[in-house]
Amino acid sequence: MEIKTFTVADLKAALELEDFWLAQTLPITKHRALSYSRNPRAEENDPVLLVAYQEKRVIGYLGILPDNIFVNDNIYKLGWLTSWWVDPSYATAGVGAILLFTALNEYNQYVGVSGSSREARKALDASQKFMALKPLQGLDIRLRLKITRIILRKFPAMRIFRGIFKIIEALLDEIVNLRSFFWQRKTNRSQQLSFEYIATIDEETDRFIKRYNQLDLTRKEKSDLSWIMNNPWVLSAPLKDSASKKYYFSSRADRFLYLGVKVFQHQNEMIGFFLLKVRDDRMGVVYSYFESRHAASVTAAIFHHALIMDVATLSLFDGQLISGISELGCPCWSVKRRSRGFSLSKAFADVPLSNYRLHGGDGDLAFY
Amino acid sequence: MALQTKIAQILFGVIDELNELRPTHEHLKKDLETPLSGDSGRLDSAGLINLIVVTEQKLAAELGRPIVLTDDRTLSQVDQVFHTLGTLADYIHLRLNEDNDE
Repeated sequence: MEIKTFTVADLKAALELEDFWLAQTLPITKHRALSYSRNPRAEENDPVLLVAYQEKRVIGYLGILPDNIFVNDNIYKLGWLTSWWVDPSYATAGVGAILLFTALNEYNQYVGVSGSSREARKALDASQKFMALKPLQGLDIRLRLKITRIILRKFPAMRIFRGIFKIIEALLDEIVNLRSFFWQRKTNRSQQLSFEYIATIDEETDRFIKRYNQLDLTRKEKSDLSWIMNNPWVLSAPLKDSASKKYYFSSRADRFLYLGVKVFQHQNEMIGFFLLKVRDDRMGVVYSYFESRHAASVTAAIFHHALIMDVATLSLFDGQLISGISELGCPCWSVKRRSRGFSLSKAFADVPLSNYRLHGGDGDLAFY
Repeated sequence: MALQTKIAQILFGVIDELNELRPTHEHLKKDLETPLSGDSGRLDSAGLINLIVVTEQKLAAELGRPIVLTDDRTLSQVDQVFHTLGTLADYIHLRLNEDNDE
């Protein structure tokens, strides 16, 4: 078995190599490789991908996302572990262990993990090298039932009744629309607001963000957010392409987009900025910035967008936005509590991390 | 007690600890021939990681000398080092002797 470490520079070179992309199993997709290579927080010689080969065949890989953590006046460089995969037929070959320990060694033991599968969690716990941060508490707000998809997924044989389900779904949607109409009239908040959509962070937004990101653990700035918005790991595409069939992690969705939304009141007073991620029927707020007194207005703006963009579920992981949802009495079918776990390696044990803010998109979560 | 025997006993202690976390039918034998990783290996990624970490801890506690089993040198020969409990014992013995020579 051979472990190859790809730095940013190596990955840029691999993008030009035809053979790399002809492999039976891909350790990364082209658009993800492009994204890694454009990460503004990565240096050219930062390791970003570890690949395990057995006789030139890919039998495992682990991606690493270089990032910075800001605590007081100190900046700590770390790598977020992402897309950790081992070929099941090599499950007892020690591939996962080698990948994990190599990643820790490459980053001088300064590594983080955001979210993880059960298997990955088990391996990380076994290493005794990680400590959990206080998890982000969030909500999944069910706005539309989308019953046709749910029923057909569970009972494919019911396809013949698809038309009936669609009619019921349309009726249920009308109930949502009616409730939303009355809610918007009652709250009147989103009508007093105006918006500006951006595909990349502009100077005004950059200045605005800097006023509110000083307690953020990863303190994202203009270049970081613009990079996320313009370098997705998942592409909107109707069908699985050849690359996505050879790559274990998701790389396409029917609908995937980022939308930066600037929120104004009284025409020109900017009161908030949020970055939305829409994947199929789910909308998430990956980063949000606003003053506490405007939390309800920003929440109303987000909710308004979720309704207009016809998503089934809105996910929020910001305490003030969650409070805003209850304060505004937003109409929905159901609300489910969720949490997102973050772990940092014990190299951070002496760093005071308790008073820092995490966003729903921190680690690699903005990309999925 | 010879160092080789001491290392084997420490590794059997590691196996005891690992077995506590495994269902009975997956218990590892306290035998130097017990396969660890590879085709006939009994440890998945989490199992091997656990073995490495517990072995490092027990070696440090019982020999008073830390041995790092997650360095690049060890990781580059995982197949050989962790093939069986015996190959791991031999490798630890080798590393301890190297440390003595330095």
